[in-house]
Amino acid sequence: MRRSLRAAVALLALAALSACATKVERLDTSTAVDLSGGWNDTDSRAVSQEMIQDSLARPWLQEFRGRPGQSRPAVIVGEVRNLSHEHINVNTFTLDLERALINSGKVDFVATKQERLGIRDERKDQDLNARADTRNAMGKELGADFMLTGTINTIVDPNGNQQLLFYQVNMTLISLSDNRKVWVGQKDIRKLVTRSKLRF
Amino acid sequence: MFADVAAKASLPCVAVCLTACATFSDTIQSTERGLAQQQPKAALAAYEKVKPAAPDRVLYLMNKGMLLRMSGDYAESTRTLEQAKQGIEELRALSLREQALSIAVNDATKSFIGEDFERVMVNNYLALNYLEGGQLDAARVEALQVDLLLREKAQKIAAASPYAEDAFARYLSGIVYEDEGEWSDAMIAYRKAYEAYKKQLKSFSVAMPETLKHDLIRLADRMGLAEEAKRYREEFKIDQTLSEAELLDRGEIILTVHAGLAPIKRERSTTVPNPATGRILRIALPQYRSRAQPLAYASLSSDSASAKTSRVENIDAIAVKTLDAEMPLITARAIARMAAKDTVAAAAGSGGSSGNSSANTTAALLGLAVNVAGVLTERADTRSWFTLPGEIHLARLALPPGDYKLKIELRGRDERVLDTSEIKIAIRKGEKKYVSRHWIPTNLEVKP
Repeated sequence: MRRSLRAAVALLALAALSACATKVERLDTSTAVDLSGGWNDTDSRAVSQEMIQDSLARPWLQEFRGRPGQSRPAVIVGEVRNLSHEHINVNTFTLDLERALINSGKVDFVATKQERLGIRDERKDQDLNARADTRNAMGKELGADFMLTGTINTIVDPNGNQQLLFYQVNMTLISLSDNRKVWVGQKDIRKLVTRSKLRF
Repeated sequence: MFADVAAKASLPCVAVCLTACATFSDTIQSTERGLAQQQPKAALAAYEKVKPAAPDRVLYLMNKGMLLRMSGDYAESTRTLEQAKQGIEELRALSLREQALSIAVNDATKSFIGEDFERVMVNNYLALNYLEGGQLDAARVEALQVDLLLREKAQKIAAASPYAEDAFARYLSGIVYEDEGEWSDAMIAYRKAYEAYKKQLKSFSVAMPETLKHDLIRLADRMGLAEEAKRYREEFKIDQTLSEAELLDRGEIILTVHAGLAPIKRERSTTVPNPATGRILRIALPQYRSRAQPLAYASLSSDSASAKTSRVENIDAIAVKTLDAEMPLITARAIARMAAKDTVAAAAGSGGSSGNSSANTTAALLGLAVNVAGVLTERADTRSWFTLPGEIHLARLALPPGDYKLKIELRGRDERVLDTSEIKIAIRKGEKKYVSRHWIPTNLEVKP
């Protein structure tokens, strides 16, 4: 009797221990996994893909190319403001957008304000320290033709343990020469989140 | 035989329970000492030695987040308070296991998620952290979350609760929206704050803050709500106030002073022998003890201009009134628990009524052990966010652009200067700078 009890205790302890071990499961980046119901990578990717496809198919690109002496528009990413009720990392999503637009080969991208400051510092440093034939001169930067800005908005409708989440992402491409909005993209996401009323 | 083993086994059980039942509040004395000596870093170091039990994790994070903020580590404070917020979200579902434990052992076995006001305070302090770090959009997220929290609360509450709205949270949201240039949202938030201050004057004795009066008039004017602006002017007897355009030509400093500490929960208990059964009965209930709140107001002054703070939140009163409202439920649960524990002790003690004297003795011993265990584990839930300030005061000071050396003076009820400090600040046109000051009196004794 004693022995079997001891064995049972040992087994239980083992079971408890194995339950505590960290488990890692690798997922394909395209599988949608929703844990808390908040904004996640799936939303970010869905929105950026839709935006890119939409923006490249619109007439502003053709129109710009049609102008005399112009081939590819230079675009800069301005601020994507998070006006939602969640702390959202907007960087992943603007970077997705930027990458897809550059890789499409149809537009040029200009470095952002922060990046430009770093590059200018580097050029200043080159002026002093680099060999003359490898030196890059100041004042030869490519000015952007368009600026991409956007907002993420949410409407939340809570009721008891259910929440209806509505995300609206708006992106606008503005012509820097005359403030004209040449493209407006919008993507909506709706989610119904039901919270468990009970836990262990 | 079984009873014998059980009796022997119950003794170490009682010992384990005893050590496990030291409630969270027992571990905080050195932290309090550090705070009273105006050494938040020492208080934080003392507090970080606490190893919280699983149900106390959120409380630990709340306190740690506040102590980090007091020590000036805003980034880490924000991270910690965000963790606390996430913890609350995960723990909001009802746990049947914990409910059963709270009836069988005591209320302190339940996971702490804080009272409503403590949850709102997490958002408020995160918003202040973001504002002071210049992250206006992140503060706006907190304002939206607070709105959601208060809306959900309003849906849930059936009976009239003294804390149905958080006036300061509404006011702070209004300030955030105004800073964003979202006039209509700011107007709505200021209005909600106005309603809340009016409604809660009686229960929390916080008068309408002076600054809010001017904010309401300014925003109503900006929105072109002539009728409403006139009403505010008459109600507050204010003729002259800065217009939004004039305010945007200058910069503004928004000072919050976080004074004193929130009341502390103590246990109030009664232990009586029941002569009819020979067993002991015990009931333990929580009770708030307020601390001294000596700050009357603070003044913020440059060479040319100055502003006085108004009290915007009385956490002391909110905490006490919230517990008062919950007391009937807590008491009912404590009585049910006492009855349940007594029934179990009676059942354990009646095991050997067969006439066998050794079995009788064992049963009586077992009954006694169960009774003692039940009595010893009867503790009140004295967990509360004790590093919250007792009161929050706020001042707004508009200044022309330039570099300033500003003096912050804290004054007591008798105009006595409690503390002075200086800040250097550069103000640009149309910019708002958020500054806060935590101040805790040296004398932390609780009122009897």
